[in-house]
Amino acid sequence: MTHFAKNRSLALREFWSRLGMKTRRWLGVLWMRARSVFRSSSVERELEKELSFHLDQEIEEGRARGLSLDEARWTALRKLGGISQIQEECRDMRRTDFLENLTRDLRYAARMLAHSPGFTLVMVLTLALSIGATSAIVSVIEGVLLRPLPYRDPARLVRVFTSSTQFPKFPMNPNDFRDFRARLHSFESFAAYTRSDLQLSGTGEAIRLSGFSVTAGFFNVLGLNPAMGREFERNDELPGRGHVAIVSDKVWRTRMGARRDVLGQRILLNAEPYTVVGVMPPGVQHPGNMYHAVMYGDTVDIWTPFTFTNPQNRGEHYLDGIARLRPGVNAAQAQNEMNAAMQQLAKEHPDGDSGWDVLVIPEHTELVGRSQRLLLVLLGAVALVLLLACVNAANLLLARATARQRELSVRAAVGASRPRLIQQLLTESVLLAAMGAVLGAALAMAGVKALVALLPADFPRASDIHVDAPVFLFTLAVAAGTGLFFGMVPALHGSRTDLREPLHEGGRSAMSSRGTLRLRSSLVISEVTLACVLLIGAALMLRSFVNLLKADPGFRPEQTVTANISLPEANYKDGKARTRFYEGLLDKLGSVPGVIAVGASSDLPWTGWDDNAGGMKIPGEEPPPHQFFHARYHAATPGYFRALGIPMLRGREFDDHDTADSQKVFIINEAMARFWQHSDALGRRLTFEDHPKEKDWMTIVGIVGDVKDAPKNAAAEPGFWWPMSQGPLSDFSIAIRSNLEPKVVADHLRAAAGELDPNLAVSDIRTMKEVAAGAYATSRFALLLVALFAALALVLAAIGTYGVIAYSVNQRIHEFGVRMALGARPSDVVRSVLINGMKLALAGTLLGTVLGLALSRLLGNLLYEVSPADPVAIGATCVITIVVAALACYVPALRATRANPMTALRAD
Amino acid sequence: MSRPSDLIQGTLDLLILKTISTGPKHGWAIAKRIEQVSDDALQVTQGALYPALHRLEQQGWISAKWRKTETGREAKFYQLTKAGAAQFERELAQWERLSNAIGLVIRLA
Repeated sequence: MTHFAKNRSLALREFWSRLGMKTRRWLGVLWMRARSVFRSSSVERELEKELSFHLDQEIEEGRARGLSLDEARWTALRKLGGISQIQEECRDMRRTDFLENLTRDLRYAARMLAHSPGFTLVMVLTLALSIGATSAIVSVIEGVLLRPLPYRDPARLVRVFTSSTQFPKFPMNPNDFRDFRARLHSFESFAAYTRSDLQLSGTGEAIRLSGFSVTAGFFNVLGLNPAMGREFERNDELPGRGHVAIVSDKVWRTRMGARRDVLGQRILLNAEPYTVVGVMPPGVQHPGNMYHAVMYGDTVDIWTPFTFTNPQNRGEHYLDGIARLRPGVNAAQAQNEMNAAMQQLAKEHPDGDSGWDVLVIPEHTELVGRSQRLLLVLLGAVALVLLLACVNAANLLLARATARQRELSVRAAVGASRPRLIQQLLTESVLLAAMGAVLGAALAMAGVKALVALLPADFPRASDIHVDAPVFLFTLAVAAGTGLFFGMVPALHGSRTDLREPLHEGGRSAMSSRGTLRLRSSLVISEVTLACVLLIGAALMLRSFVNLLKADPGFRPEQTVTANISLPEANYKDGKARTRFYEGLLDKLGSVPGVIAVGASSDLPWTGWDDNAGGMKIPGEEPPPHQFFHARYHAATPGYFRALGIPMLRGREFDDHDTADSQKVFIINEAMARFWQHSDALGRRLTFEDHPKEKDWMTIVGIVGDVKDAPKNAAAEPGFWWPMSQGPLSDFSIAIRSNLEPKVVADHLRAAAGELDPNLAVSDIRTMKEVAAGAYATSRFALLLVALFAALALVLAAIGTYGVIAYSVNQRIHEFGVRMALGARPSDVVRSVLINGMKLALAGTLLGTVLGLALSRLLGNLLYEVSPADPVAIGATCVITIVVAALACYVPALRATRANPMTALRAD
Repeated sequence: MSRPSDLIQGTLDLLILKTISTGPKHGWAIAKRIEQVSDDALQVTQGALYPALHRLEQQGWISAKWRKTETGREAKFYQLTKAGAAQFERELAQWERLSNAIGLVIRLA
């Protein structure tokens, strides 16, 4: 064996022995700690035994020096010093104090809290409410704003729109899309889609399916694959080849018996045969669309190929574009490239494509951007509530810490160090917060369910909202954070004990009451401030909502039932067939006793109808420079305006004399009547043709009141209606005004439609009130939550004010007693207490108003016809805050008047 | 009675380790031994001694056993662990470096 090898084996042995030594040491350390934690009582006994042995040795030594037993004992004891202090320090040294103290502190804290159930209840409830509310709102934000969209690499998905001065955000033209797809490099893949609902028949009751026609590779853009079969290819886009369909998992299960051999089968869509080529997996989320919008979510039943049937047209815009960016390309770069391509297209097709730009918007922004402000406002509001709850808890704890000053002083005197006292006080506050969090998590679970139920129907990603692990962890973190946060001030304050002071002076009025009161007063002021800010927000929202309800919608939603009907083209090939159907239906419904008016139309108010017709010519009138006349187009039957209560301002309704063969007529709204700058619109004519023949002219026969697209819009869009008889639609809505119950009307409607065509689906039966409520839903939702938070804040601030005033009354009870004994009237005492409280309330209100004015701007478009500095809202807030504060002060003030001088003096 | 400062605490650890390096001793004996050897210049109060002993035990440098003394009473005897002996060497070296350095400064500076 060489020298080297021998050396190495020595080194190895030493290494092992050192390792063994270290390991043994650590095992020993672990054992010691475990012993200190789990067998603390035996460890304590040993320590006592050890110290008493030491004492005995000292005594014996003293005796050996010739002292008497008593003298020796006395000397030894003096030398030993405070036994409990040594014990405490030894405990500290055992380092396990953390865990060990924690269990002791927890037990102690639980006992202390159980001692004052009222205090504990108020603390836990207020914390639970605020932590629960925070968790619920965070759940919503997590689900809607933060969670990635359920597509492959969703950050690279963008939506593509076109834009002009008149239409800032508009769908695309199919032929433009096809050119873009062929020319662009920024996109890895690019697809377009448009709404195309279909009626499925032949298997059970006919139903209307929510459908889209999509270009080849639509699912590939999203990163989704069919569960069975294939998605559409370029071949499917050719005219005449499009009779294939991909169905959703839901349709496959509910209408096709979940059969594995469904591929290649024929189904009847709009009474025409289609071949099923694919089945999507469950949970496919529609990415949302603009034209005839269907909201994001599991909202689409069937997809058919988009076919390019009209290669010359560059004027129709009805395609939504969706694309996947190449890695490393951002939306702005893609938009630049698209705009360059658009300019090229404008040169090639100056008629249709000039004046258009392209918008490229990240899918996530497009989906949730509009709800972002609402959610952030709610988050801000709930954060204020949580902060307020913390301040309130700190305030209440501080009052307790002051009351417990003597207990703390005693603990400090027998050897508890300041960190130990702080740790103990913090344990109590974290325990409170933890109880609040557990209850709060339960509240959040229920709250999120309620929130989702309350959400406006068109709220994006509502189905993605639920309390899950990250939110739960967040709740825990919030609880720990709030516990430390609201516990820190009282703990630092309470632990600052001078050993002698409270023990000496003993009385409850002794402890640096002045400093405590100042601290508590500033806490109360901040509570009132926070509550005031929230109240201003709620008052502004309430004013907006009232304005919204007060605003004339332009129609009378009461007593009207509506529904949608779609006539399959295969069975209703021409206008005559369609006219026969809806005239028959309207006749049947009109003869039902109790029905006041019934009509059909292309659409209903406030349902998102945004179809435009442009390029009309009006003799004697010119559109503004660089613009053209355009208006929302609609169709209506006689009776429609009466059924909806839209006022006929001038002229006449459509009637039975307006037929396919009679003179073409229009009814327009007030906004459109303003196109006629130089004359009265009624009786005038307009046309869409460049070289109109006599039959191409439409005569204005009536002017109706304006109805805005949505209640919050600034003004109504110009709009016109043609009589359904002169252009019968296959998709239309029915409106029935009656004295009957909505359910009865719905039964009549279904029966009448069934008599005319048993295979027809009547969908979306709703009262017009429900339609209108849907349009108000976002405002109502925002108002409800902010008002809820503001009410919670007000209660918390009232508790805080009450707490401090009651505390100061307690401090001064002896003074009040003496004053009463000297002849002060109760009203004097009440006034003096009230003035004290009102000073705090006024300071808080003032600060709150200033802060509220600064923050109310952030509400932005959540407000409707209210300035963020609305004096009514702010005045009302101030009055409410001050009245509530006065009430909170009044109760302790009354107690002050009952001060008995004798008890007060004795108590001290 | 007062809490030992860091310097004293560290020094006390060293003294304790040294004192029991010759064999197991109980707390009182350790205190006595330090007093005797230092000619009563170093008085170790119980308030400092026992926390230090408990800390050293917790850190695994020393271990303790209950045994009978010569007079037949039960006492807690502390002795160095193997790791403690190594720690003692390290602390000793450090102390010598420190005291040399301080000595140099005091004499020469």
